[in-house]
Amino acid sequence: MAREWRFARAVRGLVFGLRACISMLACTGVFAQGSSVEYAVKATYLYKFAPFVEWPAGTFDSPNDPFMLCVVGHDPVAVLVDQAVQGQQVAGHVIDVLHLAQVRRDARCHILYVATHGPAAAAALDSVRGLPVLTVTDAAPDPRARGIVNFIVQDNRVRFEIDPREASENHLVISSKLLNLAVEPSPKP
Amino acid sequence: MAELLQRTLDFFGVDRANLMPAAAAVGILLLVFAGIGMVMYNEQAYREAKTQQVEAQSRILASTVTAALAFDDRKAASEYVKALAVDPQVQIAAVYDARGALFAAYSRGPNAVVPETVHIGARHTEGDALFVTVQVLQGSTPLGTVYMQTAIDPISRRFERYVVLALLVTMAALIFVVLGFAQRRLADANERLHKQGQDLAEANENLRAQIVQREDAESALRQVQKMEAMGQLTGGIAHDFNNLLQVIIGNLEVMQRRNLVGGDDAKRMVASALRGAQRAATLTQRLLAFARRQPLDPRPIDVNRLVTGMSELLHRTLGESITIETVLASGIWRAAADANQLENALLNLAVNARDAMSSGGRLTIETANTFLDEAYAQANEVEPGQYVLIAVSDTGTGMPSDVIAKAFEPFFTTKDVGKGSGLGLSQVYGFIRQSDGHAKIYSEPGEGTTIKLYLPRLITAGESREASPDVSAMTGSRGDRHVLVVEDDEDVRVHAVSILRELGYAVLEAPDAAIALRVLDADPNVELLFTDVGLPGGLSGRQLADEARRRHPNLAVLYTTGYARNAIVHQGRLDPGVELIPKPFTFGSLAAKVNAIFERRESVRQGPV
Repeated sequence: MAREWRFARAVRGLVFGLRACISMLACTGVFAQGSSVEYAVKATYLYKFAPFVEWPAGTFDSPNDPFMLCVVGHDPVAVLVDQAVQGQQVAGHVIDVLHLAQVRRDARCHILYVATHGPAAAAALDSVRGLPVLTVTDAAPDPRARGIVNFIVQDNRVRFEIDPREASENHLVISSKLLNLAVEPSPKP
Repeated sequence: MAELLQRTLDFFGVDRANLMPAAAAVGILLLVFAGIGMVMYNEQAYREAKTQQVEAQSRILASTVTAALAFDDRKAASEYVKALAVDPQVQIAAVYDARGALFAAYSRGPNAVVPETVHIGARHTEGDALFVTVQVLQGSTPLGTVYMQTAIDPISRRFERYVVLALLVTMAALIFVVLGFAQRRLADANERLHKQGQDLAEANENLRAQIVQREDAESALRQVQKMEAMGQLTGGIAHDFNNLLQVIIGNLEVMQRRNLVGGDDAKRMVASALRGAQRAATLTQRLLAFARRQPLDPRPIDVNRLVTGMSELLHRTLGESITIETVLASGIWRAAADANQLENALLNLAVNARDAMSSGGRLTIETANTFLDEAYAQANEVEPGQYVLIAVSDTGTGMPSDVIAKAFEPFFTTKDVGKGSGLGLSQVYGFIRQSDGHAKIYSEPGEGTTIKLYLPRLITAGESREASPDVSAMTGSRGDRHVLVVEDDEDVRVHAVSILRELGYAVLEAPDAAIALRVLDADPNVELLFTDVGLPGGLSGRQLADEARRRHPNLAVLYTTGYARNAIVHQGRLDPGVELIPKPFTFGSLAAKVNAIFERRESVRQGPV
């Protein structure tokens, strides 16, 4: 885990510059696909999902428990998450970012960002299936390796698909407001 | 309660009759205030409701726009914002992100300028616009701000709603006014009715008073008439009595003078009979006085002097136990009355007063000038006008009203048998009435008595000649003086003739007027015609005298009568220059009278020389 933190510190300078850029460009909402702005926006969106999702009762043992945002794998977004959540809270809970090499069932994550694709992603998703964890993937081409929320880029804007069935399997209730913003997901096979 | 109301009204100076209009005015004012209050309250409530409505809209927008804000979906946010356009009053709906930068906006109308930034919590109205800002929260996470500006109904539109209210208030006010006026009219009518009722009651009261007055007057009149009737009756009896007494007294006197009876016993009996007859004569005199048939010799008198002159006599009459007080008015008018009779009347009253004050007391004699008005005069059968009043008051036992009613009647007395004749007050009454005056008794048991005598004021200015008492008889040779006695009653004639002859006159006699005139024609030396007033055979004594004086202008006339008839007495008074001696006359009185006549003739005859 210490290794991940170090990695995070290595990219902190870059992210700091990006934040300023996001602030400026967010109003336009337009950016080039695959740009650093896109990743920064996605990193920000991760914790922004939290207010629109209802975890089952008993998820937090006490009000002081941190909100756990787990990241598994490595991608440009994962690098920016630590910076993105800086100073943010979710319903009074401090946000802790946890970078994992692999996900175990007892990970106690609230949100799991799967920063990989392919079988590894599917394994990560499977490991928390049925648990109250909001899984997020980034533009997963394989429908079976998509999280409940899946980032896509549409018209040069970061949008997302939401799979409500998966959400209910993970005992999560997703606000209709969020659902309304979601892009219609491509059907699963 | 009613009293409190009345006091409140008095405090505000409101008349009871003005109560309803005042109440109506107050009612109208209250209505108007209530109307204004309702309008203001409605206005406030409207603004409140409008604000709440806009706030609710803002909150709905805020809650729906959360995700769009969070995930930077301006398109979705714009759709949410535009959804509010269905409300035509929404002028601006805008969403700002957490940093306060404009995120999505909708605006409509010329004065809808979307602000670039906005502060949370602003909520106010400005003119016809209402501004509301609401924070966008997802859970407890602040995501941005919603800003809304809506038009509120223009003031004219809002007041249109109150037109109905104003109409209602106006109509209610009108009803109040109409009611107030109606009430006022009703109150006025009631007032008039009340006044009419009062007038009616007053008129009724007046009528009743008049009835009582009339009854009093009628009763007084009846009393007067009764006295009149009694007077006539008494007068008639007294007249006949006088003639009889004249005969008795005359013959008794002759018997005495000529010593026709021998022996002391017989003389005593004659003297006793004479005394009795003279007392009887006094009685008939009083009866005549009451009947107003006594001959009066009214002269101008000063009642003050008369009363003063009587004080010695009164003191002697009343005794030591009764004090006499005289209150004499200064400038007292003159009255015409027979002084002797007036003294007699006052003496009678004094005697009555003495009898009423057996254990002593005070007798007050007052004189005053006074005036009897029309009403009083009418009720008491007396002429209205100026009168000289003599009031005699005592502090005695007084009289009840039934006694007062009869006090003037002859032979009515409350004194023990033999103590009073019952003729005292009737003499007073008769004398005063005959003098054209008026007598009135005021008395109550235990309160004393006041008797008021009113004598008419003598208007013609003249010296007050006190009647000088006639000097007593004188005899002597008067054979050169011829006297004609005319008297139908032979006894009386014989008596008179014998007296005159005894006095030394040359006496002729005649039983009636016709013979008398022949005698006069036959003897031109007759200087005095002494005639009865009532004569048989066509001519009365008065007519005889007139005819005789027409033939013999220097002829003196002396009447005698049982009572004075109108032939010689005008309203109870002797014409000036006419002499009269009432029956029954005595030797002395006739002698004095005839003597006086001849003396006067003498002085008149000598006067011009």
